[in-house]
Amino acid sequence: MPADPGPILAVSGVSKRFGGLLALDSVSFAVQQGEIFSVIGPNGAGKTTLFSCLVGSVRPTSGSIRFRGEELSGLRNDQIVARGLVRTHQIVRPFRDMSVAENVGVGVLFGRLRLRGMKARERVDEVLGRTELGPRAAVKAGVLSIGELKRLEIARALGTGPEVLCLDEVMGGLNPSEIQQAMVLVRALRDGGLTILMIEHHVHAVAGLSDRLVVLNFGKKIAEGRPAEVLKDPAVVAAYLGDETEARA
Amino acid sequence: MSFLRRHLALVLGLVFGACLLVAPAVAERGTLNDLWNMAFFVVLASAWNLLGGFAGQVSLGYSAFVGIGAYTTVLLAKTGWSPWLTLPVGAALAVAFSIVVGLPTFRLRGPYFTIATIGVGEAVRVIASGLEFTGGSSGVRMPPGTFEFGGNYYAMAGLALLTLALVAWLRQHAFGLSLEAIRQDIDAAEALGVHSTRAKLEAHAISAGLVAIAGGLFATNFQYISPGSVFDFRLSLTIVLMPIVGGMGTVVGPVLGAMLFSYLQIKLLASPALRDSYLFIYGGLLIAVMLFEPRGIVGLGERLLGFWARWRTPALAEAGRAG
Amino acid sequence: MQKLVVVALNSLLAAGLYATMSYGLAVIYGVMRIINLAHAGLMMLAAYATFALNDRFGLDPFLSLLVVAPAFFLLGMALYATLIRWLPRSSAGPSMQSLLLLFGVWLVLQNLAYAIWGGDTQSILTPYTMESVEVLGGRFGIPQILVFGVSIVSLVGLNLVLRRTFLGKAIRAVTQNRDAAMLAGVNAGRIAAVAFGLGTAFAAMAGSMLSTLYAFTPDFGRSFLLKAFCIIVLGGMESFTGVAVGALVLAFIENFASAYTSIPVSYEDAISFTLLVVVLVAAPGGLPGLWRMLDRRAVAR
Repeated sequence: MPADPGPILAVSGVSKRFGGLLALDSVSFAVQQGEIFSVIGPNGAGKTTLFSCLVGSVRPTSGSIRFRGEELSGLRNDQIVARGLVRTHQIVRPFRDMSVAENVGVGVLFGRLRLRGMKARERVDEVLGRTELGPRAAVKAGVLSIGELKRLEIARALGTGPEVLCLDEVMGGLNPSEIQQAMVLVRALRDGGLTILMIEHHVHAVAGLSDRLVVLNFGKKIAEGRPAEVLKDPAVVAAYLGDETEARA
Repeated sequence: MSFLRRHLALVLGLVFGACLLVAPAVAERGTLNDLWNMAFFVVLASAWNLLGGFAGQVSLGYSAFVGIGAYTTVLLAKTGWSPWLTLPVGAALAVAFSIVVGLPTFRLRGPYFTIATIGVGEAVRVIASGLEFTGGSSGVRMPPGTFEFGGNYYAMAGLALLTLALVAWLRQHAFGLSLEAIRQDIDAAEALGVHSTRAKLEAHAISAGLVAIAGGLFATNFQYISPGSVFDFRLSLTIVLMPIVGGMGTVVGPVLGAMLFSYLQIKLLASPALRDSYLFIYGGLLIAVMLFEPRGIVGLGERLLGFWARWRTPALAEAGRAG
Repeated sequence: MQKLVVVALNSLLAAGLYATMSYGLAVIYGVMRIINLAHAGLMMLAAYATFALNDRFGLDPFLSLLVVAPAFFLLGMALYATLIRWLPRSSAGPSMQSLLLLFGVWLVLQNLAYAIWGGDTQSILTPYTMESVEVLGGRFGIPQILVFGVSIVSLVGLNLVLRRTFLGKAIRAVTQNRDAAMLAGVNAGRIAAVAFGLGTAFAAMAGSMLSTLYAFTPDFGRSFLLKAFCIIVLGGMESFTGVAVGALVLAFIENFASAYTSIPVSYEDAISFTLLVVVLVAAPGGLPGLWRMLDRRAVAR
């Protein structure tokens, strides 16, 4: 085995407080390059907050986030994107008055690659091809279906030329065949060299795709490891079902 | 048909430019004055539109830049400077001021930013009225011998065309797309790598510089300025209304607005009755536009003609149409 | 020390009026997330209405509140029904469209006043306008004291309505969470109309009372609007108690500045504007936000 170059993303003791609410409580984990790494947990566990901290839209109250060894916390969102870490949004945020191609264009022009001219257009076409949005390139984003909008979120992020792609519930609201398509796409993206972080509720997808995962509950990490072990962990099962039983007790 | 459609604005711009430049040969002085006014308004409206329409940051304090340009020209001319050389200085000062104001206020979103800019405009006016060396509230006069309508006219016409060309060019390129992204969803834009604050500052600076040069030309043309004429809130209001009524976020919109408002101004100055009602007209226009067609005359035109007047980078559009 | 007490008392008196003025803005913002720039115009119009009633019928300005307030309440509801109702609701906070629309309304109101009363400065003189009372070495005008009294009564009344009546609770519910309130059976549209009426009524009361203290022109209202913004931003935008505190803070700063520094009164606007920008930029949650931040630090792990 070649020497371990260290994790591409190292999260240590990250906490986030919003006024009186502790959304993240000293969360730590490491992601290896080329992994598909999932973050799961019941609603309100702090998963999206974690992503917001990773990409810089929210500043962690404490802790450190190292990307290829470089400290990210404190940097702006656009600076982090320039370094190769980008996210999609759980609730899609397309630029509705722009065409699909222009939406992707923003990421291509201003992301890590900062391409211009012909190269930019080529990249836009390439990304649209990979996410199967080619035929819709000139259409205004506002009229797309939810499945297409989810793919557009991915396409926009992809356009920036990231090394680590953070997907926030890309499968939410999709029908079974769309979920299959999404899983194929995620695998293809990883095989193409990306590292993928996923927040996902679909246990089937998580189990099928992830190399490793981490489970959050009430902002705390309660399990980490391979899907087979983690998903059988009684603490994890309790976390998902626990709210109901605890409430009744 | 296709060529005309794709380059409609360019063709209109060339026609407009030709009219402006040819006019001195055929029109009489009164008409030339009106054209000068229109060109002045075109500069103000188009420059403002860069930040206000494209980036969506509505500033109600742009008279500050007009005033900075005007006062720089007059005060420097009084110490012996050639009026032409004062223009870049005014522009530089306006750019600096735009950055000083922008740094704190661009942290504010939407309406809060707008409210802050009202305060800035007022603060500048109060200070200008209070300072000794700017002549206080009675204003200052250009030194004799600086008036020359011909050169000034061509300068203003040229500035208007330059502004339009610059705005159209920016819109076609990456910078314009970033402003548009900021307007639609600033957080999503940042999540894709756009440094929103810097883009806003740049748009603010470019427009401030252009407006200041126009202010300097204004001072040379009218020879006398005061806080009431160049730092007036009414001017800030007019500057904002032109692109809003014409169509924010388009290249053509501000020009249409400028034409409408320079026409209105002529009518208002001519009739005392209308002059007293200008607030009714301005307010009424604003209400009507916001209620019925927030995208102004251009939006109305689009709706009526069903034709996407705004155009994007042609090649991307081509790729889309082909794909 | 005594001077400080006088400054404090002056601030208190001013704060009452400021709070009344700001509540009008806060109610509308809270329920509809709309920044009502026409507030300034409505205050101005009420001042002129009070003047007209005093001029024509000799009606005492404070008594005329009984007429002006309900009239403007209805005016507010009419404005809502004809104009505001049609604006699209923006989920991402206050919209530019509503801001500009109401700005247009302000301009129209100004022109209306110019048309009816001309641009000359007006003021209202009553037998007690010049009377004052001496307390602790400071002189306090009778109108000032009356204004404070009326403000307190109206604010207490507002508070009672908000806390004890169904209408008031509905308003508070919509302010906190419109969708949840609708699910609970609140007719958000009707509440919005009432809120706009209330906001207008309070603007009118403030304007009416201002007419007893200051001379006014149709342009009047802008600096008070700026003050009102400053106050509700200080107060945290969505808290009614916050507005009262914000009013006190601003009034105190202004009186302090004029008593102890040589900043001229015309720069008063600059004070409220600077404070507004500073708070918006440094502490967007206003004083409550600052309080929460300090509170958190105190219990930090």
